[in-house]
Order: sequence, then C-alpha cells, then structure tokens
Amino acid sequence: MSVDFLHPGEGAAIDTNASALEMRGIGKRFPGVVALDNVDFTLEPGKIHALMGENGAGKSTLIKIMAGVYGKDAGTVRMRGREVDIKSPRDSLKEGIKVVFQEIALISEFTVAENIFLEGYPTGRTGSIDWKKIRADSAALFNRIGFNVDPAARTGSLPVSQQQMVEIARALAHEARVVVMDEPTSSLTPNEVSLLFTVIRRLAALGIAVVYVSHKLDEVFEIADTVTVLRDGRHISTKPIGEHTNDTLIQDMIGRRIDNLFPRQRGAAGSKVALSVENLSTAKKLVDVSFEARAGEVLGFFGLMGAGRTELAKAIVGYDPIISGTVTVDGQRLAPHDTRTGVRLGIGLLTEDRKSEGLMGELPVYQNASLASLGAFARLGFVDKAKEHQAVQDYVDRFRIKTPSLFQQIKNLSGGNQQKVLISRWLMRGLKVIVVDEPTRGIDVGAKSEIFALIDRLAGEGLAVVMMTSEMPELLGLADRIAVMCEGRLTAIMPREEATQEKILNAAIG
Amino acid sequence: MSLASTASAKAPPSLLARLFARQELALLVCLILVLAFFSVTVENFFSVRNMTNVLGQASLALTAGIGCAIVFISGEVDISIGSLLATIALPLIIIMNDTNSLLLGVSGALLFGLIIGVVNGYLVAYAGINSLIVTLGTMFIMRGGVYLYTGQRAIPDDASLDSFIALSDGRLFNIIPYSAVIAIVLLAAFGYMMQHRPFGRQIYAVGGNQEVARLAGYDVRRVKFVCFIISALLATVAGIILAARVGSAQHTAGLNFEFQVVAATVLGGVSLAGGIGSLTGMALGVLILQFLSNGLRGLGLPTEWQLVITGMIIIAAVAFDEAKRRRANGG
Repeated sequence: MSVDFLHPGEGAAIDTNASALEMRGIGKRFPGVVALDNVDFTLEPGKIHALMGENGAGKSTLIKIMAGVYGKDAGTVRMRGREVDIKSPRDSLKEGIKVVFQEIALISEFTVAENIFLEGYPTGRTGSIDWKKIRADSAALFNRIGFNVDPAARTGSLPVSQQQMVEIARALAHEARVVVMDEPTSSLTPNEVSLLFTVIRRLAALGIAVVYVSHKLDEVFEIADTVTVLRDGRHISTKPIGEHTNDTLIQDMIGRRIDNLFPRQRGAAGSKVALSVENLSTAKKLVDVSFEARAGEVLGFFGLMGAGRTELAKAIVGYDPIISGTVTVDGQRLAPHDTRTGVRLGIGLLTEDRKSEGLMGELPVYQNASLASLGAFARLGFVDKAKEHQAVQDYVDRFRIKTPSLFQQIKNLSGGNQQKVLISRWLMRGLKVIVVDEPTRGIDVGAKSEIFALIDRLAGEGLAVVMMTSEMPELLGLADRIAVMCEGRLTAIMPREEATQEKILNAAIG
Repeated sequence: MSLASTASAKAPPSLLARLFARQELALLVCLILVLAFFSVTVENFFSVRNMTNVLGQASLALTAGIGCAIVFISGEVDISIGSLLATIALPLIIIMNDTNSLLLGVSGALLFGLIIGVVNGYLVAYAGINSLIVTLGTMFIMRGGVYLYTGQRAIPDDASLDSFIALSDGRLFNIIPYSAVIAIVLLAAFGYMMQHRPFGRQIYAVGGNQEVARLAGYDVRRVKFVCFIISALLATVAGIILAARVGSAQHTAGLNFEFQVVAATVLGGVSLAGGIGSLTGMALGVLILQFLSNGLRGLGLPTEWQLVITGMIIIAAVAFDEAKRRRANGG
C-alpha cells in the first residue's frame, strides 16, 4: 500500500481523523526488570513529538518496540485507527514506521543511492534491480530536501552528519508515516543541527509524525510541539511544549529537582604543574599546541566539531603518534610516545567512544575496572583474585556504581555507571593526569550531575583533569580554566572568571 | 559538483562498482603479467591447447569458488566443499551404475548436495554455530563417511555413459572444455545475481552489516541459509565434473580442494569479514593461481615450491589490499 502524503486519506479505507500512531498500555519486561509498564504514546500526523526521560526510563525500549526490534508483552498499537501487529523490523517498515537510530544503520560499502533503497529495491519486469531508477530517484529526493550529496558516493566515506541525512532521506523514499529520531544531534555541529531541524520541520509539513528522542532540553524547546516524559518505564506526562519550562521538564524526568547541576566541593587548584605540553603537532590535525595543567585543576577544552579535541586527547596520552613537540607528565617526559609509557607516568584517557575504545562489553564489571592495574594484583605472575575483587568493590562502593554484582557484564550497566567503572580503572592505576573526552556523552541528566561531582572530586584529590567537551554548560560549570581550539590550533586560554559564551565561541570560530 | 549533473550522467557505475573495477583491474594486470612471463619463459605455454587445458583444470575451482565467494560475502565461511566433492560422487556413480542414467545420477548427487547445504546452513543460520566450526565438522564427517563406505577403494564408473565422459574430455567447438563452459555460464548467472538481483544485494548487505540488514527488514538467517545451499550445490557440480574426470568415486577426491578455493577467493579480493568482493575478482584469483601453477610446472619447478610461492602470493596480495584500504580510510 502506498500513501500520498500530500493527500492523506485517499485510497485505502482508513480513518483520516485517527492518530498516526497510537500505542496503548504498552508493557515490556526483561528478566528482572520491568522496562515498560502500561505506557501510552500517541502521535499526530504533522506534529513533532519529543520523547524524553533518563537512561533506563524506557525510551529506547519504546522505540525499539515501534521498530519491531523487540516484541511487546502487553498493549495495542494502532496506525490510523487500525490495529497492527509489529513482530519484526520488516513489519514496522511495512506500516510506514522508520526509526533512525543513534548508530547509523547504513551499509558503509554501498553507495548512498543503494542505501536509500536498501529496504526495497525498485525492480524491473524481470525482477532485476532498476539501478537507473535508484540513481534518479535518490538524486530527486536529495533535491527535494535540499541535501547536497553525490548519490554515487560510497556511504562510508561520508561524515556521520551526512550519513544521518541519508537515513532520513531513506525514510522519505519509503513514504514513512512515522519517523523516529533517536538522539539525532549527538554528533552534529551547530550548523548541521540547524540543517537537521529544517529537514525535520519539512517532514512534519509533509504530514509525517516525527518522534524526537533527546536529552537536550534546548533542542526540545526549539523543535517539539508536544513532549512525553517517561520515567522508570512509566508514562509521566504528555503536554504541549508551551506548558513546560526547563524546570518542570527536568522535574518530570528525574522526579526531583536538581538544584545545582555542578556542585563544586573542591578547593582552589594547586600550583604544581602535572602536565606540560609544548609545541605539539600531529600529522593528522594538531598544530603547535602548548599548555600546562596543574594538579587539582580542571582544564576544559572547548571546540566545534573537527577542532581537534579528541585528537589532542589521544595525542597527549600517547595513543596517537606525534610529529613534533613534547609531553611532560609530572616532570617526566613522555618518551617513547606510547600509552604504555603514558600509563607508567600516570596519564590516562577516558575515551569519548566508550563502546569501542573503553569497554570490554562482554566482560564483567570487575575485569573492566582492573584492566590497567593487573600488575598491582599479581603474585608470581598470577592475578590475586581476592585482592582484585576487593579493590574493585572499594570503587563500586565509593562511586556508588549501580551494578547487581562485580560479575555483571558491563554492557548491561547504564551509561553513567559504565563511565564510573572506566574512571575507576584509571584511579586504581594511580593517575596524576586524567584526560576525559566528552565525559557525559550518551548519559542522562541525573547521572550527568553524578559524573560532574566525580570529576570535581578527582580534581579535589589532586589529579589534573583535562576535559574535552562540546557542551558549553559543562565547560562553564566545571572548568577552572578554559582552553579553546579551532582547526587543530589552540586559539585561547582563559580563567573561568574571564570566560563568557561569546568569548569562547569567537575563539572557537577562529 | 551539482546534484543535477551527477543525476543526469549516463548510467555511471556505482562507486562501489568502480572501486571493485579497479581492484579487478589490478588482478587482471597480475594475470596478464603471469601470462606474459610464462609465455616468454615456457615453451608452448601460450598455446590454445595449454590455455584451454588450464581453463578446464580451473573450472572445478571456478565453479566451487562461486559458492565460496558468496558465503564469504555473506560474512561466513564454508570449508566443507572438498569433502563434499568426494561424498556426492558416491550417489552419482552408484546410481549411474545401477540405472545407466546420467540424469538420475546427477539428480541424486544434487539431492545429496542439497541435504548437506541444508545441514550446514541450518546449523550456522538457525542454530547459531560458528560457520568455521560447523563446516570443519561436516568436512570431517563427510570424509570419514566416504572412507567408511568405500573401504578406501575407488568405486569405478561402470556405466561409462558417453554424456558423462564428455563432461571430462568433451569440448565445445572442439576448443573449450565443457567443464569450463559450465563454469563460465554459472559465473555469469551468479555474477548477475550478486550485482543486479535484490537477493544478491541482500547478501552483500548481510555481510556488510548484519544489524543494519535486519533493521532494513531482511531475514538475515534465511539469507545465510540460502548461501550455504548455493555453496553446497555448486560444489556438487564441481564434484560431478571431478568424478567424470577420474572416472570413479574416490575417497581422496577433493582433498585440500577447499583450501585451494579459499586461497583463490581471498586472492581475488573477497573479504573474509563479509560484504566486500566480487565473483569476477574470485575468478581472476582462480585463474592467476592456476596459470601460475601450470607455468611453474613448465619451468620444471617441483610442486613443493609451487605451494611455497602460492602461500607467499596470497599473504602479499591480502597485505597489499589491507594497506590500500587503510590508506583510503585514513585520508
């Protein structure tokens, strides 16, 4: 069945007044957890509906049920008044539901055009693929949404932001009636975000019901018509965005007020230089970067996408090779330039990409925590398990890491708790400098403030914290000094007291 | 570059096709170099007779290689094909001896092959067992079964049907061996399927990224299941040709054949990781190794050295590929 967006209601016998999607009494349990309990969620055509809640609130379970990734245990789903049974991604696509997940769902070896039609290749009379139509249709589609990409380009060669656009274009190609976007802006620059918002509004104008899943309050206030908040698997509220303020939204999400997102406990930074970087350049990005970080201080690095923050983080811990310059940790030069030396001198990286560079997802919590310090637990070359478990247990207690046991696979923990385990990994090793790259990426509001408190505490205990972030509030709330990067260069470095958003952005633009 | 100009360009091949075209071009250049080298150094190497002979010898690996490459592209491996060659020769020869019918013998062999493909495919796709383990297991089981059944004696083809013998020494227009014709036709058909039929693209998608394929509504398990059936049936065809060539069912038939095919497939740029490679590349890989072996023999080099050289070439080729890919991704 094909549907013409511009003339809804023509053709099939459907109730034109009905909601685009109506979910009633949805329930879903996983072993030991009730992920969703009697949740209602209704989407109107042409409206942008934000879905909010902390991690573990049930947002992703709900959209995975829409996408057919999970089956539901209870409740009904209606599309335009007709009850539907979605058992697989195929069923979901057939009903016109298109979920754009945070992780790009494209085949990177295929061309952009082929990815657009991945869900159903147009075929000729013989059943062979009509490549001409694929190329022409995708070019026409891109024109329509004002998207400037070569349909013949290899998808893997495009930046993430453009790959995301390809996914949205794919939703249009298959005449989706419901488009769900899961945290779509987490890796976009401000410019790309505004392009994305334009496209989202265009989708809504076509009569598509858009679900916008996000943690970012300002974005939701900008784009959404309606907001539904989930908490602990239950429906908390559904209101027009006009009836919400920042405070009421946060309150709905966490069930309490966060009075101070950035509780500062630590005293003033010391004067001892813990990390000194001089004239650092790399082949890939960095040009002549010099700075110092003192024990007990949080030095925040800000920069737009591509400014070189992650590259700097990886270079100063010895992970990426450098072509010139020096890194000195606690008076000792980082040479040879590798992570083995880095860890020995006491500098470690908390990566922005937890999944692929931080966690060993299948392994238990304790092994993830003790990874960098196995030598300390070793006796005659064998790891003393009791000692290892005790040390990890200490950190679990200290940081209030929520895990059923030390033996739980770490992939089952929430993002915030995973992050705490990774921080423990470095603290156990006895670091002098910790480099944290986007420490709160993919972590919800409530857990964010815990991570902030933890970073504050690390500095309080005398570590030098070098924090890379693209989040202005995080930067202003947490850092003692603020460094700004642009295209691989350091363009400004200033004490927090002198920093304003304007000053920082100017330096970031270069 | 404006959108309009790219859209109106006359049926440009996709970038993927161009990328592979380049890889295939590199393989083609290698093949030509091999041919040129031995044409100069080995007498009668570059003769119609020798060329078509080698083509005939290559037809087994070409035919089975199609299945091997398809399974690779889907992200799995199938190393049971060598034993399968020996196994299906049993029903083939026994039925022909009993009935004097090539059609019945071939049908019996294909039925056997189908069953083995179903078993492999089921265990990998539906039972979720690693394909290397599954096909290693069926490889041993089949080889052991053939040893037990034959008591390590060959079962000769007593029917000696003309049509069956033609499979080994018959030539189209008296030039191209029928076995090569069969391989070429199958290559063309499956090559077309891989590039232009939705199912072929689904195999690439499944091998490229299984989760993405599932989210795009594909039945990933069914795709893999079918790939193993295709592989088993194509190996059956190769086994029938081999049986015709040796005129019997032998317990040692196809010993180490799977590794020759895997080697040629990898040399042809088909990635073990799935999603990358083409049947054309595989075919060029087979031809390079076959002509190389033929030429080295012509130079009087012992078989032992051929093995050593083949091994080095495979590692060098894959290392070259990897370096190229890293450069492309690093830029």
